[in-house]
Amino acid sequence: MHFNIADVPQQLVNGLTLGGMYALIALGYTLVYGILLMINFAHSEMFMMGAYFGLMWLKVLSKQSFFTSSGAGLIALYAVSILLAAIMTGTLGVLIERFAYRPLRHAPRLAPLISAIGVSLFLQNAILLWVSSRSIPFPIKFPVYQYTLARDPSGSLAFTVLGATEKLADKLGQGAHAIVQFSTLQIMIIVVTLVLLFVLDTFVSRTKLGKAMRATAQDRDTAGLMGVDINRIIAITFFIGPAMGAVAGIFSGMYYGNIKYNMGFIPGIKSFTAAVLGGIGNLRGAMLGGFVLGMAEALASGFISTAYKDVIAFVILILVLIFRPGGLLGESVVEKV
Amino acid sequence: MARSKRLLALVAALAALSLAVAGCGGKTETGGTGGEKEAVTVKIGVTAPFTGDVAALGLGIKNGATLAIDEANADPELKELGVKIEGMFVDDAADPKTAVNAATQLTSDPKVVGIVGHLNSGCSIPASAKYNEAGIVQISPASTNPKLTQQGFKNVFRVCTIDTVQGSFAGDFAVDKLGAKSVAVISDSTPYGDGLADEFAKQFQARGGKVVSRDKIQLKDQDFKALVTKIQGLKPDLIYFGGMYTEAGLISKQAKEAGLRVPLMGGDGLYTQQYIDIAGAANAEGDIATSVGLPLDQQPKGQEFKAAFEKKFPDANIEAYDTYAYDAAMVIIEAIKKVAKEMGADKLATPAGKQAIIDAVAKTDYDGVTGKVAFDEFGDTTNKAITAYIVKGGAFVPYEQ
Amino acid sequence: MGGSKVDIKTSVESARLTPKKIALYAAIAAFLIAAPVYFQAVGNVFMVRIFALVGIYVMLALGLNIVVGYAGLLDLGYVAFYGMGAYSGVLLGYAWQRIVGGADAPLAGLSYWVLLPLAALMAALTGIALGTPVLRLRGDYLAIVTLGFGEIVRIALQNDAFGLTNGAAGLPRVGESIVPAAGQKWVFMHLSTSTFTFSKDLFWYVIVVALCLLTIFVIRRLDNSRLGRAWVAMREDEVAAAATGVNIMTTKLWAFSLGAMWGGIAGITYAYWVGFISPESFNFMESVLIVCMVVLGGMGSIPGSVVGAVIIAGLPEIIRGLAQSTALSRFLTPEQASRIGDYRFLIFGGLLVVMMAFRPQGILPSTRRARELTAEDVIVEEENVDMWEVEHKHDLPHKL
Repeated sequence: MHFNIADVPQQLVNGLTLGGMYALIALGYTLVYGILLMINFAHSEMFMMGAYFGLMWLKVLSKQSFFTSSGAGLIALYAVSILLAAIMTGTLGVLIERFAYRPLRHAPRLAPLISAIGVSLFLQNAILLWVSSRSIPFPIKFPVYQYTLARDPSGSLAFTVLGATEKLADKLGQGAHAIVQFSTLQIMIIVVTLVLLFVLDTFVSRTKLGKAMRATAQDRDTAGLMGVDINRIIAITFFIGPAMGAVAGIFSGMYYGNIKYNMGFIPGIKSFTAAVLGGIGNLRGAMLGGFVLGMAEALASGFISTAYKDVIAFVILILVLIFRPGGLLGESVVEKV
Repeated sequence: MARSKRLLALVAALAALSLAVAGCGGKTETGGTGGEKEAVTVKIGVTAPFTGDVAALGLGIKNGATLAIDEANADPELKELGVKIEGMFVDDAADPKTAVNAATQLTSDPKVVGIVGHLNSGCSIPASAKYNEAGIVQISPASTNPKLTQQGFKNVFRVCTIDTVQGSFAGDFAVDKLGAKSVAVISDSTPYGDGLADEFAKQFQARGGKVVSRDKIQLKDQDFKALVTKIQGLKPDLIYFGGMYTEAGLISKQAKEAGLRVPLMGGDGLYTQQYIDIAGAANAEGDIATSVGLPLDQQPKGQEFKAAFEKKFPDANIEAYDTYAYDAAMVIIEAIKKVAKEMGADKLATPAGKQAIIDAVAKTDYDGVTGKVAFDEFGDTTNKAITAYIVKGGAFVPYEQ
Repeated sequence: MGGSKVDIKTSVESARLTPKKIALYAAIAAFLIAAPVYFQAVGNVFMVRIFALVGIYVMLALGLNIVVGYAGLLDLGYVAFYGMGAYSGVLLGYAWQRIVGGADAPLAGLSYWVLLPLAALMAALTGIALGTPVLRLRGDYLAIVTLGFGEIVRIALQNDAFGLTNGAAGLPRVGESIVPAAGQKWVFMHLSTSTFTFSKDLFWYVIVVALCLLTIFVIRRLDNSRLGRAWVAMREDEVAAAATGVNIMTTKLWAFSLGAMWGGIAGITYAYWVGFISPESFNFMESVLIVCMVVLGGMGSIPGSVVGAVIIAGLPEIIRGLAQSTALSRFLTPEQASRIGDYRFLIFGGLLVVMMAFRPQGILPSTRRARELTAEDVIVEEENVDMWEVEHKHDLPHKL
């Protein structure tokens, strides 16, 4: 146990970034769950595949001088890679739904779980065997800065931007210490995540398709009778979830610098936990759950114990569920008789 | 009743399937074709994780052993003796249960006369009981947990050094060579990582150093930012990590990115180019890994090994344990040679032959790629030489000062 | 839906031994005895071990089937009970060694037999301790809580909780031992011949099979008991069940603790068989695979759980064993054989998908549950004619 109050702001930033990624992945779980009442265990592999597709496009597009000649080009390079990877992963998600899950739509509720685990094992091993068993570096072609809020040696607040090799002491003088730092990547992850969450939330709550999705989630059969094309809605769900997961996967690759065939496993469990924490089936709940879980992990790891951080995260989850059985934002379930 | 009919069919299918599998192991057939004299085939089992997280190291072990086996089969002396050596490669997935399965599969094959494996101590320990039962020699190229050879099994050896030796070397090194006064110790919750980190911390403290924090991480975790932030506040001179390259690389990268610019030090689990790839060359610069034996270039056989390796596996790097696997296989091959000479090639795969191989291995005195290989009464290598390597210009080079 | 009528019918039917059933049981029994003995005789201990290992998983799947199949509670942390059984078995074994006077004392070998019920009890108590606060959670909320519980147990074991578990290095420590169960030596000495060794693995295979039979017996009794009916009622409709006088909490707790008990039995058996345990053996993936066994076989079905366990625990190893068998060594280099072994999870993953696509209700679904399913999902599109009904069109007249 170690409590250093000065670490709190930085730990919150760490938690926020981690939580942003959890939130993006958790959306996929919660969307699918909301509509099909199914835990899509293969979703963690969508995160992983997204990262690999992203890397592939990054490598392909880097060969075009348009993308590497200017700053705007570089931004476009990453934006286009992410977009293409998200589309590919979304398509993969739709295909998986079509061939692995749709035949099971009227099977016992847990049956698709098995298919999902099958898909997950298959994809992981496909990457392991056919791409590489190793970590693959994920290139960052733009300079990464640390936006630092610090106290200078005299004790007053100062804001400075540090390059990759610059030291705070050189900039502000010996004795300066950082209060909180954001890296370019952290800012990018948090901002893009928030934008995506906002867009998705608007899509679901404001558009006609979103309305159809909500109707399907409420009662699939009745929605069908009302003229909603259920298969289309499910396909859309299976496109959006994996696409979001892919974005998170690419962010993870950029943030941690590496991707690996089994990179989805832990974020997958955590994000599923986050989705439940927020109230599974509830879109905003998944976002909130993601951020709460990320924060809890960072704080637990920083101030209590790294070894027990997951234990702490799960204990929080259990406590929340005991007192709010529907999760943070979930509605309390009215028993249908 | 369609149901019971179906069940019956299932049982029948299963029976047929397992009978097909039974075909393995059971019959002893004489292999080797084409020669004037029918050669006796014996097998060396090679088992390590070929899949999963640390597959890179496991496949390295496979490469090293393959090289040794190929070399042996080209050896006229063995041909003369009428022995052909075959590798049997079994994945243990770095999982204890699968490791015991692998061990049983290997011991079930009567032609297997020696084992090179496993990588993880957590696998080697339960599997060693199987090899002991079967009376087959096991030489681990990489399991460094002291317990392995302290179970009282006479057939268990290792060519790598134990955690106590490496950990205390690292503790001294940090004090004497690096001048570190305080250290943050992290390990990866595996027998190897925890054992090594504890030994290091013990020695470092005994030498007057201060351990400012002791943390354990979970394997496969990627996010160590919170841990790094915490350590940053403690201002250590050094981070010591007990574990493998994947997590170590990520910690080094995240520490340096956060502005915690102190070297990360670790054991043989870090001594691979992969570590530098994961951390990024700029971040890994100045990080230190200790590894058993002398550097490849300083070994008389090192260049030879390197050349042979590059010829056979042009696409692969030499990983941390390839040379140990090579030496482990070579030790077994030497023992096979000796026993074949004394008892005849056809006796090799008998219980007496296997016992003789164990005895021959115990008396090994062999100049390997990793240095002189000989075993003490526990089966640990007497080669206690440890070298520290530092990352310079994106590659590990022997530390000199 | 006339379910109760069918239930009586099926339970009566299942109790009646038709000649076909007798033939089936005889065939299974013959296979279970003959195959391992044959493998042992030809020296293929690997297959004997796989048989015993599959048996352990059969026990686990049957135990989890109580929770998931009968009571309808999705438990994703079942491995925690398995771990509890293993660790408490070994730790209590040390206490036993102290009581009888050391690992070499004549009574030391009884530790497994004495501790078997104790480990089962420990696991069952853990089940109650966990279940009491969380069982009121519904559906997948419960799933994630059990998942969390499983992880908590594993992490605690890994961090040497209370100084008992020796962390990642596992038990026993250097200088400690797990005493082989009494009988192991005896059968080795007395039942071995010059060409046939009654190996440790074969010995444990026998124990595991006996335990599996016991499990099946008990679960069959439970299935037809008041408790078993309460489980089904609760699974189908908690509110209605409660209204008819089923105490939901107690019923759930029974399911949870009985399921946990079999996890514990499997755990201590595994520990004494292998002689070494470490936290890595009790990870989340293991829990998931056990759930897979139950669902793949068919929820709530005893033969289903057995078949599921055989396929999921046995198949990857069999793929590997086949690839490296001498029968195929003519066609494959050792390198290729090993490569196929590495593909086993890829093949396995694909097979899971295909198998579920063809039999969504599981391979051998319980007649009772399958019947409920026909009424469960109201069908909208024309392609959604219930698969079970189509498949069993010809069976139905016999049963009604």
